[in-house]
Amino acid sequence: MSAPLARRGLPQLPGVAWLLLALLLGLSAVAPGFASAANALNVAQQATLLLLLALPMTLIIMTEGLDLSMGASLSLCTVVLAVTSLGSGSLALGIATALLAGVLIGLLNGALIAWLELPPFVATLGTLGVAQGLALVLAEGRTTSGVGDGLATLWNGAVAGLPVPLLFAAVAWAVFHVLLHHTRFGVAVIALGGNREALKLAGMNERGSLIAVYALGGLFVGLAALLLGARLGGGHPTAAIGMEFDAIAAVAVGGTLFERGKGSLGGTVLGVLAVGVMRNGLNLLSMPSSLQVAAVGAVVIAALVLDALRGQH
Amino acid sequence: MSLVAQAPLLSLKGITKRFTGVLALDQVSIDLHGGEVHMLMGENGAGKSTLMKVLCGAYKPDEGHFESRGQRVQVHSTADAQRLGVAVIFQEYSLVPHLSIAHNIFLGREPRRRVPGLIDHGRMHREARAVLDRLGLDIDTRRVVDGLGVAQQQMIEIAKALSQNARILVLDEPTAALSERETERLFEVIADLKREGVAMAYISHRMAEVFSLGDRVTVLRDGKLVATMPAGEATADELVTLMVGRKVDMSYHRGERPACGPCVLELRGASSTGGIRDVSLKVHAGEIVGLAGLVGSGRTEVARAIFGADALTAGEVLVNGERLKGRPTDSRSKGLGLIPESRKQQGLALARTVGDNLLISGLRKLFASGLYRPRKALAHASSMIATMRIATRGPRQLSRNLSGGNQQKIVIGKWLLAGTRIYLFDEPTRGIDVGAKEEIFRLIDRLVNEGCAVLMISSELGEVVRVCDRAYVMKEKRVAGEVPRADLSESNLLRLAMHHE
Amino acid sequence: MSTLVQKIHLAPEQRSLLLRLVVLLLIGAGLALVSSAFLGAHNLLNLLRQASLVFLLASGLTLVILCGGLDLSIGANVAMSACLAATVMKATGSPLAGCAAGLASGLLVGAVNGLLVTRVRVPPFIATYGTLWILHGLTYWFMAGDTIHGFPPAFRFLGSGYGLGVPVPVFLMIGVLALGTLFLQYTTMGQEIYATGSNTEAAALSGVPGLNRRLLVYMLSGGMAGLASLVFLARLNSAEGDMGEALTLQAVGAVLIGGTSLFGGTGTLAGTLVGALVLTVVLNGMNLLAISANWQPLITGVIVIVSVAADALSRRRSGD
Repeated sequence: MSAPLARRGLPQLPGVAWLLLALLLGLSAVAPGFASAANALNVAQQATLLLLLALPMTLIIMTEGLDLSMGASLSLCTVVLAVTSLGSGSLALGIATALLAGVLIGLLNGALIAWLELPPFVATLGTLGVAQGLALVLAEGRTTSGVGDGLATLWNGAVAGLPVPLLFAAVAWAVFHVLLHHTRFGVAVIALGGNREALKLAGMNERGSLIAVYALGGLFVGLAALLLGARLGGGHPTAAIGMEFDAIAAVAVGGTLFERGKGSLGGTVLGVLAVGVMRNGLNLLSMPSSLQVAAVGAVVIAALVLDALRGQH
Repeated sequence: MSLVAQAPLLSLKGITKRFTGVLALDQVSIDLHGGEVHMLMGENGAGKSTLMKVLCGAYKPDEGHFESRGQRVQVHSTADAQRLGVAVIFQEYSLVPHLSIAHNIFLGREPRRRVPGLIDHGRMHREARAVLDRLGLDIDTRRVVDGLGVAQQQMIEIAKALSQNARILVLDEPTAALSERETERLFEVIADLKREGVAMAYISHRMAEVFSLGDRVTVLRDGKLVATMPAGEATADELVTLMVGRKVDMSYHRGERPACGPCVLELRGASSTGGIRDVSLKVHAGEIVGLAGLVGSGRTEVARAIFGADALTAGEVLVNGERLKGRPTDSRSKGLGLIPESRKQQGLALARTVGDNLLISGLRKLFASGLYRPRKALAHASSMIATMRIATRGPRQLSRNLSGGNQQKIVIGKWLLAGTRIYLFDEPTRGIDVGAKEEIFRLIDRLVNEGCAVLMISSELGEVVRVCDRAYVMKEKRVAGEVPRADLSESNLLRLAMHHE
Repeated sequence: MSTLVQKIHLAPEQRSLLLRLVVLLLIGAGLALVSSAFLGAHNLLNLLRQASLVFLLASGLTLVILCGGLDLSIGANVAMSACLAATVMKATGSPLAGCAAGLASGLLVGAVNGLLVTRVRVPPFIATYGTLWILHGLTYWFMAGDTIHGFPPAFRFLGSGYGLGVPVPVFLMIGVLALGTLFLQYTTMGQEIYATGSNTEAAALSGVPGLNRRLLVYMLSGGMAGLASLVFLARLNSAEGDMGEALTLQAVGAVLIGGTSLFGGTGTLAGTLVGALVLTVVLNGMNLLAISANWQPLITGVIVIVSVAADALSRRRSGD
C-alpha cells in the first residue's frame, strides 16, 4: 500500500501528541472554563479511570486481541463492591470481592481465547453479555449506594497536594512500564503479537502468557471499580457501558497497532488524555454526550485512516 | 584435524521419516564430529531440511535414534535438542519484529537480576554487543528488528545461535542472503568455532563454500544417503552427478510433439513486488516450458506476477499480444489459470465440495447470465470428474477428504472448466504418489496437444527434463538462462541454478 | 442422537439444520409443559413477530459473515434508520417517503462499512465497531432525547398488521428467506460469496472478485438493517434514540446458533431462521416464567459462547 504522507516533513512526534496539542489550544480558546485548575483536576480524575482500562487494553491489543467486556465488567465490579460491603458491613471484603470478580472475568476471557481458541472479539462479546447480565441480576432489589466515606478519599482525596487518582494513574503507568519493558512477561506480550512461532521455538509458555494478559486486564478493571465506586458512592449495573470503546479509542489514537505487536504505553497515556480532554471540552461546549461519543468514534476512524496513509499498516 | 580418531559429538542413526504418502528420509545416518564442518548437499526435496528438523527436535523420526558421545539419547522436542547443545540458524522467521536485537538474541533466555527477577538490560545488551562484534555487525543492539534488511536479519539469527554457546550448530544456507563481506565474517567465525571444537552441520548449494569450508560432505538423494566422503576427496562434477543420478523408472515419455504454435504468453522485463527482476520469457501454444531453479530463486513469484497475484513494478505481461491488467479476474478472463504451490491453502476451499471447487473459476463462462443452476453445475462437475478420473464419491463430497493427487486434479479441473488456454503450474506433483504423478503428466500432455500452453515450475529436475520442451532457469530472482530441448539435462539445469565457482 | 441422524443420508448442512430444529422443538415442548400460556395463539404470534424482526436483521449479517466479514453496527443502524424514517414521515406525512429514507439510510451505512473494509482495509470489527458508536451518538443527538410517535396506519400495518391471521413481519421473513436463499444458492454471486468466505486467498487466485463481493454484502447487511428498522418502528409506533440496543447481540446470536461459522464459507439463511426462533423462544420462555429481564443478556451471552465453542470443537474434531 502506498504511503503518500509518509515523506511530508513533520517532526517525529507521535500523531497523538499533535492531536492533544491541537485540542488543548483549540478548547482553551473556545470552551468556557476549560483552562482552569479546577477543570484540569476534573479531567485528571476522569482520565485516571480510563487509563486503568486503557493500559491493560494496550497489552491486549498488542497481542492482536481485544477486550469488549471491560465496560460491563467494570459495572459488575462496582455492583459487587457495593453489595458485598453494604451486605457484610466490611469495606475490605467488598474491595476484595470486587477485585476477585474482575480477575475472574479476565480469566474467563483468557481461557476462552487461549484454550478454546475463540476469536477474541467473540469471546469478549460473550463475556460482555455474561458480565452485564450478572451486574443487572446482582443489583436488582439490593441496596447499591451509600458505600461510605472510606472509599470517597480515593476519588476526592489528596496526598501531599497531589490528587489520589493521579497517584493511582502514575503507579499504574509505572507498573505497566516495568511489566512490559523489564520482565519476560512483557517480552512474551510483544512476541504474541509479533511472531508467535518465535515464542514457541524459544520454549516460552504461549497460552499462559495470553491468559495472564486478560487476567491482568480483569485485575485493573477491579481497581478501576474502586475508583468508580468512590465517585458514585456505590455501584451501578450500567455505570460503565461502552467505556471499553473509549479505552480502545485511546489505545488506537495513541499509536498502538492492532497487528504485529507494536505498542506504546506513553502513546496510550497521551491517547487517554486526548479522549478525556475532548470529552471534557465538548461537555463544556454543551455538546450532548451522545454526540461526543460519535466524535470519539470519528476520531478513531480518522486516526486509522491517517495511519494507513502514512504507511503504518 | 584428524577425522577418524574422535567419537562424534552427535550421531543420527538410521533415521526414517514419513509424511503422508512420501518417504522423506530413508535410513539416513550421519555423524557430527567436534571441530568439523559437515556439508549436506542434495537437490530440492532430497531430504536435507527434513534431516535438519529432525536434528533440532522439531520433527520426531519414525525410526532411528540419536547418540551423544556413544550413548543413546532421547530427542523428542526442541527443548531436548537445546539441552544437548544443538542450536539452529533459521531463515529469519524466528525474529519478533518489534523487539530489539538484543531481546531477539536472548528470547526466552533473558539474563535477569537476582532480585526482583527483572530483566538485566545492561548485561543483555553487553552480551549481545559482544556477539555482534564477533560477527562484525556494527548495529546498535537497541534497534528494533523490524525494518532491518534481510541480510542483517540473517546475521542476527546467526548471532542468536552463537549466543547459545552450542556444541552443535546447524546452518541452513546461512549465506543465501548475505553480502561478500558478511559471508567472509561468518567464515571467520566458523573457523573460530572449529578451533573451539564445535560440530557444524551445514546445508549449502554453493560449490565454493563446500570446498573452502567443508571437512566432510554428505550427499542425499530422494531421502537416502548416497555418499559421505572427506571434502578433499570430492570433485564438483562428482558431487553433481551424485546429487542428480537416479534410476529411471517411469513409463511416461514426452512423445513426438506437433510443431508448436504462436507465442501466446510473453513477459518483457518484468519486475514485481514479489522480488523478481527484469524477467523476460515466452511460451507458445502447444509447448510445455519448464521453469527451474533453487528454492527462493523466484519461480513462484514469476507465476504470481504473470497471473496478477503480485503487482508489477516494471515491464509487462502480454497474452496474445494484449497487455494484462494485472488482476486475477482479468487474467482468468483472458484464459490464464494458476495452479498454486500449496493446493490446500491456495488452490482449494477444503470445506467446500468437489463440485463447488470445480466450478468456481468457470462460473462467469458457464453461467453467463449470472444465474447459477445447481443441476447443470453438478453435470459439469461429474463430467469433469470422469474426464480427470478423480477418485471421489461424487461432486458432493467434501474436498478435504480426497488424497493429494485427487485434490490436485480438482485444481487443474477447475481451470479446464473455465476454458483456460494458458496454464501456470507451480510444483504440480509435489506430495503426490508416483501413480498420480504419471496421470498428471499425461493430462498436461493432452492439454498442449489440444493447443494450450503450459509453464511448469518444478523442483524435480528429472521431471523438467522428461516433460518439458525447453526450460528457463531462475537464479536469485533473475533469469539465469534458457535451455533448449537439445541441451535439456539435469546437470545443465543444476549448473545454471547453482552458484558455480 | 448424532449416529441416528447420520444413518439418514443427508448432506452435512441439512444434518446440522435438522439437529437445530430438533433442539428448537425440544425447547418448545419443554416450555409448553411448564407454562400453559406458551402455546396460546397470542403468545405464538407475538413470538413469530419478534423472531421475524431478529431474522430480518440477522439475514444481512449472515451474508457478511458467510463472506468472511463481520458487522457489529447493525443495531445502531436500525436505531438511526428508524429515527430518520420517523422524522421524514412526520415531516411529509408520507409512509413511502419514510420507508425510502429508512432504507436509504441503512444502505448508506452499509456502503460506508464496506468501503472502510475493502478500500481502506480497516479490520471489519474495528470498522463496524467504530461506525456503531458514531451512529449511536448521531442518533442520540439527532433525537435530542425526544420521542416521535404516532404514525399513519398504512405504515403501522408493516409491523402490527395481520394477513390471513399471520403477522405481516412473518411474510417479510419468509420473503427474505426465499429471496436470500435464491440469491445464495442460485446466482454466481452467491457462489462467489461462499468461496470468498471459505478461503479468501484461494478464491482470489481462482479469479473471484472478492473485494466487490465483500462490499456488496456489507451494503446488503445495511439494507436489511434498514428494512428491519421499518418493521421495528411500525410495531413500536414510536422512535427514540436508544431503540434496538439489544438487537445486535440477538442477531449475532441467531446467526451463530443457526450454525453459520464465524470463519466464513459455511451456513445458510434457513439456519439463521432457526437460530432466531431458538433465541426468541428462549427469551419468550424467560418472560413467561417471570424470570427477570436482567438475566437476558447473561443467557444470550452464554448461548453465544456455547454455540461458538461447539463450532470450534467440532471443527477441531474434523481435523481442520
